[in-house]
Amino acid sequence: MLCVLLVLALVLQDWLVGVLDVPVLRTASTVFVAVCVQALPFLVLGVLISGAIAAFIPASALRRALPKRTALAVPVAGVAGVALPGCECASVPVSRRLMQQGVAPAVALTFLLAAPAVNPIVLVATAVAFPNAPMMVPARFVGALLTAIVMGWLWTRFGKAEWIAERALRRLPDHDGTSRWVVFAETARHDLVDAGGFLVLGGVFAAAFNVLVPQAWLETLGGQIVLAVVVLSLLAVVLALCSEADAFVAASMSALPLLPRLVFLVVGPAVDVKLIALQAGAFGKKFAARFAPATFVVAIASALAAGAVFL
Amino acid sequence: MRRETQNILLVLLGGALLKLALTGTYLRYVKESLQPWLVVTGATMVVLALVSIVRDIRGGQGDPNGVEHSAIEHAGHEHGTSRSPWMLLLPVLAVFLISPPALGADTVNRSDRNAAQEANASNGFAALPSDEVVPLSIGEFVTRTAWDDSGSLNDRTVKLTGFVVRKDGDVFVARLTISCCAADASPVKAKMVGQNFDALPTDQWIEATGRVVPGSATKETAFVPTFTVSQVVPIVTPEDTYEG
Repeated sequence: MLCVLLVLALVLQDWLVGVLDVPVLRTASTVFVAVCVQALPFLVLGVLISGAIAAFIPASALRRALPKRTALAVPVAGVAGVALPGCECASVPVSRRLMQQGVAPAVALTFLLAAPAVNPIVLVATAVAFPNAPMMVPARFVGALLTAIVMGWLWTRFGKAEWIAERALRRLPDHDGTSRWVVFAETARHDLVDAGGFLVLGGVFAAAFNVLVPQAWLETLGGQIVLAVVVLSLLAVVLALCSEADAFVAASMSALPLLPRLVFLVVGPAVDVKLIALQAGAFGKKFAARFAPATFVVAIASALAAGAVFL
Repeated sequence: MRRETQNILLVLLGGALLKLALTGTYLRYVKESLQPWLVVTGATMVVLALVSIVRDIRGGQGDPNGVEHSAIEHAGHEHGTSRSPWMLLLPVLAVFLISPPALGADTVNRSDRNAAQEANASNGFAALPSDEVVPLSIGEFVTRTAWDDSGSLNDRTVKLTGFVVRKDGDVFVARLTISCCAADASPVKAKMVGQNFDALPTDQWIEATGRVVPGSATKETAFVPTFTVSQVVPIVTPEDTYEG
């Protein structure tokens, strides 16, 4: 099958290159490769951490490290997100692994949402991008943390385990006899193949939206703050920028007030097309269909709340 | 998808990343600072796949789901249901067969924005070198024309490097700036006047020497300065096409 595809692609190479020689498609294919190339190092970091958790950290140690009551463990997991310096692609395999090791889903999901937005690299990038508005940094930190914690508590209260695909929750068997390094390599490899496909799918969508969404929208928004918030939050979802770059893009939208740009920065790392694809892959479609829209609403509300306090 | 196919895909994808990183093509898509990470990532993928292949050959001997690792494998997913790994083939094909070019005029024309930031102006402007011709990045050129009230560019001859962009009958010299990858590219550009530029094809890289029209980058012109060009020289495309 693979051989057939590869031979077919080689034979059709000239035809492919010819078809793609239209400016729009050329731009889209460049953006597609760029999104994949940019995200893969973070995904690999994520699957290595995930493999290490599976191989070297016994489930009992994780349970001891977190408060017993889920309601308390949620904010702890949110703050723990500071420790994973990466973009959203890294946190999906890690949080899935945490679930498989017996961490409550609500706690793992809080970590999933918090890690890409509150880590030091992202905060420094935000500070560099907004030298004239230093309050953007605490506003973003609080907005993102709030989103993660509220979603964790919502899941504790309303979440149903059956929404999450069974494969994501199945406990790893105790590795009797198998070397820990083998477990590490196999888990990392398996997570990489699994999540990688969905990452690529997300990259296709991000590239398509990148050329399809007219940038001119932005320039006409000017003073209409409500409209600006709505448009920028949707833009954050479809553009799927990495959380280390989005601050610079937000900074360049200098025609807009700070508040909608803050919404852009809080929504982007929590929910975007690339992340939805990864979540559907890791936790199942039923999960993604509920979790992504809920996160979208909560993130906008959290960003507005943080904006009201800091900006 | 079969385990063997997955491993081959991983080797291909890791190889694609290594090819990008080692040939310098990666500069079309991401920033220079990502290069070591791309090498490590590509190598990690290849190693993970090789470890798995070697274990299959040693342990399985024709039984790829041999007893030894089946427990781990089965813990992760249901066999035969996952088709998503096929998507990994897309970037592999894109890199090896199509090798998309760096972004150019098409991207510049998707936005009316000129990305030079007001923020940069607050730190004050350093004095320009006293050379007769001052090479400047287009970003700095735009920022200085728009926000430097001291007029440090007036009556100075500067040299800008960029590619040719056409829109609505005007001709621009433009660059794209990226902060992470090509997905976040924003354009910076200056309108060229003073000559007939018909001979220059769109996307042609040039060095343009000339002077700014003072006060031409205002809100009304979307902060695109006008640049009176005295000399324009076509050049070969630089390896890193992005600015800043």
